[in-house]
Amino acid sequence: MRFSYLFVEGFKSVFKNKKSTTISLITMICAMFLFGVFFAIGQNINYILDQVQRNQGIEVFIKNEATDEQVVALGEQIRKLEGVNRAKFKTKEEALDSMKESMQEYKDLLEGYEGQNNIFPASYVVTLTDLKLAEQVESQIAEMDNVKKITSSNNTINTLLKIANGAKLTIGVIFVILLIISITIIANTIRLSVYARRKEISIMKYVGATNGFIRWPFMVEGMVIGLIAAILTIVIVSGCYDLIVHKIAESNVLQTMGITLLNFSELVSSISLVYCVLGILVGLVGSSISMKKYLEV
Amino acid sequence: MIEFKNVTKTYNTGTEAVHDASFMIEKGEFAFLVGESGSGKSTLIKLILKEEEATKGSILINGKDITNIKRKRIPYLRRSMGVVFQDFRLLPDKTVYENVAFAMYIVNATKKHIKRQVPMVLDLVGLRDKAKMFPHELSGGEQQRVAIARALVNNPSMIIADEPTGNLDPKTAWDIMTLLNDINARGTTVVMATHAVDIVNKMRKRVIQIDRGNIVRDDKKGGYNGEV
Repeated sequence: MRFSYLFVEGFKSVFKNKKSTTISLITMICAMFLFGVFFAIGQNINYILDQVQRNQGIEVFIKNEATDEQVVALGEQIRKLEGVNRAKFKTKEEALDSMKESMQEYKDLLEGYEGQNNIFPASYVVTLTDLKLAEQVESQIAEMDNVKKITSSNNTINTLLKIANGAKLTIGVIFVILLIISITIIANTIRLSVYARRKEISIMKYVGATNGFIRWPFMVEGMVIGLIAAILTIVIVSGCYDLIVHKIAESNVLQTMGITLLNFSELVSSISLVYCVLGILVGLVGSSISMKKYLEV
Repeated sequence: MIEFKNVTKTYNTGTEAVHDASFMIEKGEFAFLVGESGSGKSTLIKLILKEEEATKGSILINGKDITNIKRKRIPYLRRSMGVVFQDFRLLPDKTVYENVAFAMYIVNATKKHIKRQVPMVLDLVGLRDKAKMFPHELSGGEQQRVAIARALVNNPSMIIADEPTGNLDPKTAWDIMTLLNDINARGTTVVMATHAVDIVNKMRKRVIQIDRGNIVRDDKKGGYNGEV
């Protein structure tokens, strides 16, 4: 009964102080929306990186003179390396076919290279579990026997890693700034609410209410505002996200690279969790900051 | 029981509001604290309520030394006393019933207990039929009765009243005094700060007079002429 009383009191005052509640809701939604944008970008960068990791591999070309046994042994050796996801064997014929495919218009040029005349080497297409290990894996393969040449998208990999790290840092900084803004806003709202009820608080103190008892309704008020802001922001972000992702997905750049973006449904659980936890925490911290002064009687 | 032992209170501004005050109010007693505005009456009340800390000396409430109790214990100390103010201090958006029940919610009383206790106390102060009214619909005297009901509802061992008749006309003031006297007759200690000369003179109760921070008189059945 005690808890329900405190909860109801806090809930009531959310709607009693409509003006300040609305203002803090709007400001919090703005902050949370900004955060959501960066959060979505960050999640997508990670997602893209993941795809790249899987697709961007190392191609290990095998010397023509290698025997079948040696080729199999090389494959085994590569698969045993740390950081290797898969090593797919590509025969000379497959190499020729894929070359033909990428040169559709000049297919004729490649005629006559079939069978004995095939100049394309067999290879292992190696994909990685972690892009950071790319260099290490490469140098280890280079030392193996029967390896003719290694090609890799080292530069692409490094650039992507740099972008990902930069994005993570930026998102972190923005997150902290928005967190401070949100806490300040909530603290201010609750301060108004506390000020409006200072008489009540002083009476409570004289009648012998503990600080916890006085503080709880305001904490609940802060949490409820935070939670409402979180829910509204999720709705707004979901609307905007699908719209934007749709536009981006239509552009050619990503399609040619074979990269897809996250759907909101894949993002919604993590973003909702972050928002709700954030909203409640911000509400709690904000209200306890603003309560401090009034509890010292 | 309230006991002051050589209590001095100096505010941060350097003003010495109370100087070396010693007195003892027994359980069940009715005592007036009298003196002019600025004499130190309010400071004495604040010291009892632990709203202010004594600079020197010690204060005992119900046998316990409260001079050095922890901040966290203060709410529990205050539950042993009911407080009544000159300006009533009711919550305007709550009914009479809710204003009184509020004091019980604060001490975590059960719903059942609240339902039984509040009407009983409202009966005692003669406001049972006004339970659903809001403070602004009541007269000053009735509002003060609500405040007294709120002070009484948790069965405190003492009532601390700071100028409870200050905002009331003489007739209503007397009704309130009669009520306080009745409450005292039921065994509750009453300490009342006032400068209403006629009330003090007619009641013939104990009078502790304070002037410029010093206790200048302590009569068992005293009067008061507003002068030293």
